[in-house]
Amino acid sequence: MTAPAWTLEDLNLNAPDHFERGEAHEILRYLRQHQPVHWNKEWQGRVGFWNITKYDDVMFISRNPELFISSKNISSAYPIDESEIDPETDGQGKHLITMDPPRHVRMRRLVNKGFTPRAVNALEPHIRDITNHILDDIEHKERTDFVLDVASQLPLAVICEMMGVPRKDWPLMFQLTNKVLGSSDPEYQDDIPAEMRGTLEGARMTNKNGRLQMFEYFQQAIEERRANGGEDLLSTIVESEVDGQELTDEEIRWFAFLLIVAGNETTRNAISGGLHVLSEHPEQRKKLQDDMSLLPSAVEEILRWVSPVMHMARVATDDVEIRGTRIKKGERVVMWYPSVNRDEEVFPDPYTFDITREPNDHLAFGIGEHFCLGAGFARLELKVMFEELFRRFPDVQVEGEPDRLRSNFIGGVKHLPVKLR
Amino acid sequence: MRVFVDPDLCEGHSKCEKSAPAVFEVRDDDLSYVLLDPVPEEHREGVERAVRVCPRGAIAMTEDNE
Repeated sequence: MTAPAWTLEDLNLNAPDHFERGEAHEILRYLRQHQPVHWNKEWQGRVGFWNITKYDDVMFISRNPELFISSKNISSAYPIDESEIDPETDGQGKHLITMDPPRHVRMRRLVNKGFTPRAVNALEPHIRDITNHILDDIEHKERTDFVLDVASQLPLAVICEMMGVPRKDWPLMFQLTNKVLGSSDPEYQDDIPAEMRGTLEGARMTNKNGRLQMFEYFQQAIEERRANGGEDLLSTIVESEVDGQELTDEEIRWFAFLLIVAGNETTRNAISGGLHVLSEHPEQRKKLQDDMSLLPSAVEEILRWVSPVMHMARVATDDVEIRGTRIKKGERVVMWYPSVNRDEEVFPDPYTFDITREPNDHLAFGIGEHFCLGAGFARLELKVMFEELFRRFPDVQVEGEPDRLRSNFIGGVKHLPVKLR
Repeated sequence: MRVFVDPDLCEGHSKCEKSAPAVFEVRDDDLSYVLLDPVPEEHREGVERAVRVCPRGAIAMTEDNE
């Protein structure tokens, strides 16, 4: 291994370039070995934070949601000057992912019965139908962009149907999700002046535009549900009460925003990343295609390998020691999932892609209070997609490298050229 | 030892049932139930694993002398 181009002192995981260039695993391995609790200096007006790269430490943080809170936002990037925070589009404490117990538990219970493994698995035949419609649309093609035409389409359809978003608006939901979660990437910054693209300020503008449009869209939907009722998840939320109080429009808008964004961006990348990693390991792919009963464990290995959400941040509510390092009250810790999922102390041969790995207690969905609500859907969508894809296009081949999202939050793939037969 | 599942947190992921099938049962209401009280020592390893892997951190155990 050549000497790294950065030092522990100046290493900065807020910079999206490392991720776009695909250097993240090398950096995270270095941190695990040399400084698993590492101070990331402040940068461009963003606070410093602790990079947490070991499995056991992420477990400890995740299992203590009152000591490590989510309500100061969950991204590594947090402004030093809090007056920069825009109350209209900042979600601190306003939705599940940025909410702490005990309210988090009560809000989550409004919807979680729709996401249990049993509820999800009852939808399998329907999800298979959707998948086959998606594949029908590429049937006549020789080549396609797997992300746009396949991987993005299934999770988008599933979450939009659940939320009662009509089909004509699905492309809008896709576009706005890209603006919110891909706001650092110039490809999605078509709403701002060219000279702003790729800058931090430009990312903030694109992100804000995406959020405001999403809120406007769901405000109309909320009013429509209030007037006419409905059977979808949005109607359920509109009609729900927490502690004897109906949710405010603002709370419902945030709820809808979170479900749409989280529901369609993450699984998209797991499907694309899954096809990519299987193509890079033809012997594993052959083993799977020869015996599709291995798919459930292959899905877990894809999740471990891809880790579609790269980090979540928490803020310490008290002084606490992690691995001998003192974290002070009010300081930010950032848990790196691609790192913990290749922790040498937990996973034997972590850099080996093994579709039969057992046990495989990866943390791709996080763990504890904020464990991914949609994990059951993600697992089922991955399973059904690979079953149907390999049944109908057994020779599908990735051609070229994935075009990666410029982000330190979402391990995204924007485009993946494939040859279908 | 005694074992408890917090019904406010449990979402029926069934990891506990797989770790210690004699101790946990996930029923039609998507909640996990503890079948034994107290839980005999022979199931300790499975219960400890269940506590560790429960996605929601919904399982707690106490020792007999607590």
